Amino acid sequence: MAVQLPEMNLVLLSPEILLSLVAMGLLLMSAWSGKESRGLIGTMALSGIVLAAVVLAGLSSATPSATMGGHFIDDRLARAMKWLLLIATALPLLMSREYLNQHGLDSGEYYVLTITSLIGAMAMVSAGSFLLLYLGLELMSLSIYVLAAYQRDQLQSTEAGLKYFILGSLASGILLYGTSLVYGATGTTLFTAVANAIKTAEHVSPVLVLGAVLVIIGISFKVAAAPFHMWAPDVYEGAPTSVTAFIAVMPKVAAFTAFFRVLLEAFSALHVHWAPMLQLLAVLTLAVGSLGAIAQSNIKRLLAYSSIGHVGFLLIGLTTGSQLGHQSVVFYLANYIFMSVGAFCLVLVLNRQGIGDQISDYAGLAKKRPLLAFLMSMFMFSMAGIPPLAGFIAKLYVLMAAVKAGLLTLAVISVIFAAIGAFYYLRIVKIIYFDVAEQPFDMEVSLSHQIVLAISALIVLVVGIFPGKLLDWSLASVQSLL
Amino acid sequence: MMVVDVIFYAFAAVTTLAAIGVVSSRNQVHSVLFLILTFFSTAALFVLLEAEFLAALLVMVYMGAVAVLFLFVVMMLDMDVSDLKAQAINHLPLGLAVGAVILLELVVVLSHSHAHVAAASTVPNTLAIGRTLYTQYLYPFELASLILLVALIGAVVLTLRERKKVMRRQVISQQIARTRSEAVELVQRKPGEGA
Amino acid sequence: MSLHHFLILGAILFTTGVFGIFLNRRNVIIILMSIELILLSVNINFVAFSHYNNDVTGQIFTFFVLAVAAAEAAIGLAILVAFFRNRATIDVERIDTLKG
Repeated sequence: MAVQLPEMNLVLLSPEILLSLVAMGLLLMSAWSGKESRGLIGTMALSGIVLAAVVLAGLSSATPSATMGGHFIDDRLARAMKWLLLIATALPLLMSREYLNQHGLDSGEYYVLTITSLIGAMAMVSAGSFLLLYLGLELMSLSIYVLAAYQRDQLQSTEAGLKYFILGSLASGILLYGTSLVYGATGTTLFTAVANAIKTAEHVSPVLVLGAVLVIIGISFKVAAAPFHMWAPDVYEGAPTSVTAFIAVMPKVAAFTAFFRVLLEAFSALHVHWAPMLQLLAVLTLAVGSLGAIAQSNIKRLLAYSSIGHVGFLLIGLTTGSQLGHQSVVFYLANYIFMSVGAFCLVLVLNRQGIGDQISDYAGLAKKRPLLAFLMSMFMFSMAGIPPLAGFIAKLYVLMAAVKAGLLTLAVISVIFAAIGAFYYLRIVKIIYFDVAEQPFDMEVSLSHQIVLAISALIVLVVGIFPGKLLDWSLASVQSLL
Repeated sequence: MMVVDVIFYAFAAVTTLAAIGVVSSRNQVHSVLFLILTFFSTAALFVLLEAEFLAALLVMVYMGAVAVLFLFVVMMLDMDVSDLKAQAINHLPLGLAVGAVILLELVVVLSHSHAHVAAASTVPNTLAIGRTLYTQYLYPFELASLILLVALIGAVVLTLRERKKVMRRQVISQQIARTRSEAVELVQRKPGEGA
Repeated sequence: MSLHHFLILGAILFTTGVFGIFLNRRNVIIILMSIELILLSVNINFVAFSHYNNDVTGQIFTFFVLAVAAAEAAIGLAILVAFFRNRATIDVERIDTLKG
């Protein structure tokens, strides 16, 4: 029996290969060089990510194709999501370098783990099989568990890491159990083969449905959809702020792409089964996101609930099963990255001089630093969905998709919860503008913070007024689905 | 009922009871021992399913590495080194019992499963896995290697404590090489300011 | 001995693992072991399906699950050790403040 190698198009994998080489190079560098080269390692990690983006841009235009034995899929969705992942890694990394330096966290391993988690996420978004989905998810999650516990002398940080690890591992276990049932029912783990097996089978076996449900629950844990959200506020609060900014955006992009792949490529024939389940999850998630945030006094916890609320909207876009819905999900994710990164960047800027993470610490910011206050309120307004900002267009498209798909009740519920959610965003704005200042707010905004803030603010503003380009791009990226 | 069925039920029963033992023991060392038993019985079941390679892997990776790691951490976190000895004697009965069950299972598997395995497949199990793993599953294989690398980095980053280097030896060359400007600092203090 | 027997065994182990996580809320190390039980149940499922479908994919999947589970155990225990070190120092501080 001759051994047959599958068709391997390594060119398509070049961004991932490049990032792996960068990660291993940085690991060696940090082992052999002293503390004085730490700044250099951070710069090199960032340039590695930029280089990967250049390589990604240099790949020939994506015709949907599978390689490496069908485990690696290259299509417009994978390309688009890889762009978002690179942005969602580079911006948090860029803005957290001072934070890392001040807290003594800027050892080379921090950057290595950030890059390995990025590689895992990239493997997830171009996964062609449940095996790759699982391995990518684990590579991403294991790196992030360590990052969450990176401040190993702080009880809060290690506790956050432990909580994240336990619930994350439970989620992977559930996902795997579901995968094993799907494999049993269909005899394969490749998404396309699973879809074929479902189509050719004369009836849907209950084993398959149970497997699909468990897979969906597993991914829901990762995006912190209610009722599987309980880890998020604690982890967001306990992890170092630089890590929180990272885990608020990057894993969400990867996990929602996993939802796309699993639901639309493998389980598209089971739409009647998973759509109601996701709708229920969406309603619960919206409720938890907006009601849970009201009583929070810690800004990181508040942003955790805020991200849960956004996940609720993204789930609605997913359940519609229409192209408009999928487009709205990609569009929403792209905007969410910039809103969230912008808000966390301000938290990092203001966090520096003894001002804690409490919302009340921001009182009277507008009188001392009007520009920072303006930016903060802009990101808050955008998250609340107030026109003319990007967050408004994103929510609008999700609602349009829901109404077109006949999900009127869901649309009405989401509007109600968005209105409740707007209350706590506005509360922050009120504290910033109308409360009496207690802090001096005399910190200076470094160049990297200026860059990140400028990019985020510009995108939030420009996309809010001229959303056309980004909408076209989102539409093009989901056209290969269905 | 065939012999294989009896063997299956016996191992399944041991696996189940041991798993319940893992989650219900008050003593963590007992839990680890039950975990080892669970893994071993499952490995035996894998042999029944003609997956000898995975059975061997389960025994080596889990009983040889993971379970020992658990045992290390349990011992490290909760106990004084001084009463480790006393503890070890307390664990002796359960340890012996687990060992006896494992031995019994080993004997049963070795004496009964062989005929069953030889009857079914023409390509040996390990060869079949190897042929597929390094061809069709090359990409996942590489990714798995990265996961193991992350585990390595993570464990070192979180637990390794660097000892502060304490200079214990007298280095005469360094003492001689000191200059006046390094050794003495002159400061002007205003009266009443103090140091 | 049929496929169902193995699946039921897998289901029992899975349930035991999930219960173990929620029953032992105070004992983190047993929670980690429960996660190992869940992964073991998945492995039983995969190997059983692989055997009865006469397809090697399930065994390959199990191979990867074993590799990842080992990595997961290492990271979980490392985080646990870091966590307990902090807990221990906090307890010592509390003892000091009571004395003073």
